Amino acid sequence: MNAPLSSAPATAPEAWAINVDHVGKTFTLDGGKELKAIDDVDIKIGQGEFVALLGPSGCGKSTILRLVAALEDVSTGRVTVEGSNPTALSRAHRLGVAFQDHALLPWLTIRDNIALPYKVAGRPVDDKRIAELLALVGLSGFEKARPRQLSGGMRQRVSIARALVLKPDVLLLDEPFGALDAVTRRHMNVELQRIWSEQRITTLLVTHSVEEALFLADRVIVMSGRPGRIIKEIQVPFARPRSPDVQRTMEFHHLADELTLALEPEGHH
Amino acid sequence: MSPVSQTRSPLDWVKTAISRYWGVVGVLIAWQAWVTITGVNSIVIPHPINVVGDLVFNPGVYLANAGQTLFLAAAGLILGMALGTMVAIVAWSSRILSGILVPLGLIFSSVPVVALIPVLARLLGYDVKTVLGIVIIISFFPAFVFTAAGLKSLPPGSSDLFKVFGASRWTRFVHLVLPSAVPNWMIALRLSAPPAVLSAMLAEFLMGKSGLGFLFRQSATEFATERAFGTSVIATVISVLCFTSAVAAEKFINEKWK
Amino acid sequence: MKMTAERWQSLTLGIVGIALFLAAWEAIGVNRLAGLTWPPLSAVFQFMFDPTKAQLFIRAMEASFSMVILGYVTGSVVGIALAGLVHVLPVVRPGMDRLASVIHAIPAIALAPLFIVLISREFTGMAIAALNVFFILYVSTTSGLNNSTAGHRDLFQVLGSSRTTRLLRLDLPAALPAVVSGMKYSVPAAFIGAILGEWFGSSRGLGLLMVSAMQNFQIPLLWSAVFIASTASLIVFGLMGLLEQFVYGRYK
Ligand SMILES: Nc1ncnc2c1ncn2[C@@H]1O[C@H](COP(=O)(O)OP(=O)(O)OP(=O)(O)O)[C@@H](O)[C@H]1O
Ligand SMILES: [Mg+2]
Repeated sequence: MNAPLSSAPATAPEAWAINVDHVGKTFTLDGGKELKAIDDVDIKIGQGEFVALLGPSGCGKSTILRLVAALEDVSTGRVTVEGSNPTALSRAHRLGVAFQDHALLPWLTIRDNIALPYKVAGRPVDDKRIAELLALVGLSGFEKARPRQLSGGMRQRVSIARALVLKPDVLLLDEPFGALDAVTRRHMNVELQRIWSEQRITTLLVTHSVEEALFLADRVIVMSGRPGRIIKEIQVPFARPRSPDVQRTMEFHHLADELTLALEPEGHH
Repeated sequence: MSPVSQTRSPLDWVKTAISRYWGVVGVLIAWQAWVTITGVNSIVIPHPINVVGDLVFNPGVYLANAGQTLFLAAAGLILGMALGTMVAIVAWSSRILSGILVPLGLIFSSVPVVALIPVLARLLGYDVKTVLGIVIIISFFPAFVFTAAGLKSLPPGSSDLFKVFGASRWTRFVHLVLPSAVPNWMIALRLSAPPAVLSAMLAEFLMGKSGLGFLFRQSATEFATERAFGTSVIATVISVLCFTSAVAAEKFINEKWK
Repeated sequence: MKMTAERWQSLTLGIVGIALFLAAWEAIGVNRLAGLTWPPLSAVFQFMFDPTKAQLFIRAMEASFSMVILGYVTGSVVGIALAGLVHVLPVVRPGMDRLASVIHAIPAIALAPLFIVLISREFTGMAIAALNVFFILYVSTTSGLNNSTAGHRDLFQVLGSSRTTRLLRLDLPAALPAVVSGMKYSVPAAFIGAILGEWFGSSRGLGLLMVSAMQNFQIPLLWSAVFIASTASLIVFGLMGLLEQFVYGRYK
């Protein structure tokens, strides 16, 4: 496994699966006031690399994800995905996204929600794959249920299954386990790690949990707030496949402490 | 208003005008074109130009009748709304009364009320006062239903706040309940304005001896098609005026209320 | 538990209200409190269900209801179709909005002469009904088509959806509750249109029955015709209300 470091010498942009190249994003608010959400953010993610993004609320994590998903345009800098404009990826139905607010369609059953990407891409629905993913996220037997009948955490898991169903080349996850209890969350982390190890999808995960980031990612990026900037980056040394026991090692605790400290607001260092 | 601002050229004005009014203008042009091309007898369907002519040369006839219709519609609308509001307030004061009255109000406001005009005409007699009564009754139901709903939809938490203040029922009513019903009341006004004009005209049409509705019936029976279409134009203008002023009033009040 | 108790109470009160209304109607009629032109409810019923009158009412109902249905369907289809068109082609929207609201503001009575010439006296009611329904459905559908949430629109973009796929799988289902509400509220509007149309010189229908009964002092006939039209409208309105509840449960 040779995940490229962002400090590695710059190669041709095509070498990066995701290249967020010195990007700034400014929003114009209703009153005409400008809000600088992120400033000079530079993130390079290699093919098959798993990167986690940590940072305080409102620091621009979702904004970065939306830029990579081509849901927003950059104000300064450039974003490329697999060497081209990020819209190319979604047009080719090769992008998987699990949104922070799950965005399930209330009028579709769980099964139909997960089948939606097939329908949109105009491909035949693979029911075996759907059943497999439902089992994976622990929701077998809920095929016919509707989103409103599920808890918040269950809905989030459906949205992850939907993001994975087409075996995307790039996976963007925005706090996918935010609404889960600690036990289910740990279980989902193990499962996500397993799926990821099978397919090695290039993944950008936004999370508030230091432990989750360390357990899942090859690399963890820490941001500071207003405007969002990158303040720290660490390479996660644990070999894959990782068992949950990894979380009880000294090294894991040290790294967790280091990241937690970096997340403290300035002045508290 | 100041003339064209710097950023707006006359061309922009034309563009906006076209984008907003292509439909209305298109229909008018189609009408004139249809009449000209098919050459229909002008007794059957008049040329727009002749209609305008009748309007311009006989302003007296139109003004007198339009004045009466407008007055009846406006007075009926105001009285009906006032009555509806009062009954809604009375209903608000008692759970049992509102439980009995609100469903009835809902039923009547979803019945084709205009169909009641012949019954009311018979009950109250062929008279100008009956026209007024009909407009009052037709404006009553929306005002009652919407005000009753508005009196119940208090801003969240505000009721507790007033209780904490130890406010009397009366203070609560004047300072909280009544104000929160105002937006709904304005909706009722907007919804009732066009039916008020329409029902005044229909009542006049069916049994009146004056007013736009009567003028319409008279010109139709005398095959004075220009007069009939002229009446249509005036009726439309009145109706549009009532509707747009109700919309403007609603906007104005809603802005103040936020 | 408390919720259901409250529901029961309001249901009971509602029924009591309707019963009181019907009783008052009967009492006023029996005691002639409102003169000879207010018949007791029982008299109206007796007249309405008199077998010798059945033919009269059935023919009138056939005429009126066919105009209601024709107008309702035409108005709904045109309203929904045009709303879909301006949704896909936003350039034409401002002009269409204006045209729809001007048409709405024209009192039906003012359009009658045009319709009588254009499409005959018999179908004037249908045309007015169609116009009334058209306006309500145009407005509710255009606003409904914008009901999809920002999150759902993002989802479709990320999935690489085409405009048509989004229209079919997102915008239309999201608009459905608004469309069905519109269809509910346009029921009385369709009945009004058809009845009005018949007042302007149709030779058939409940509307004609009302006017001629009014002019000839046939009091029970007058009340029966009004009662039939109102009840029919209420029943359809109620059915649409049920459909609306179902759709709201599923699509919201
Ligand atoms: N569409 C928008 N218009 C205006 N401001 C926006 C918009 N989207 C985001 N912002 C602002 O940009 C900043 C970053 O928002 P973002 O959603 O990226 O934060 P986040 O790091 O994902 O926070 P959280 O952890 O709470 O989800 C915030 O201050 C937010 O108010
Ligand atoms: Mg976020």
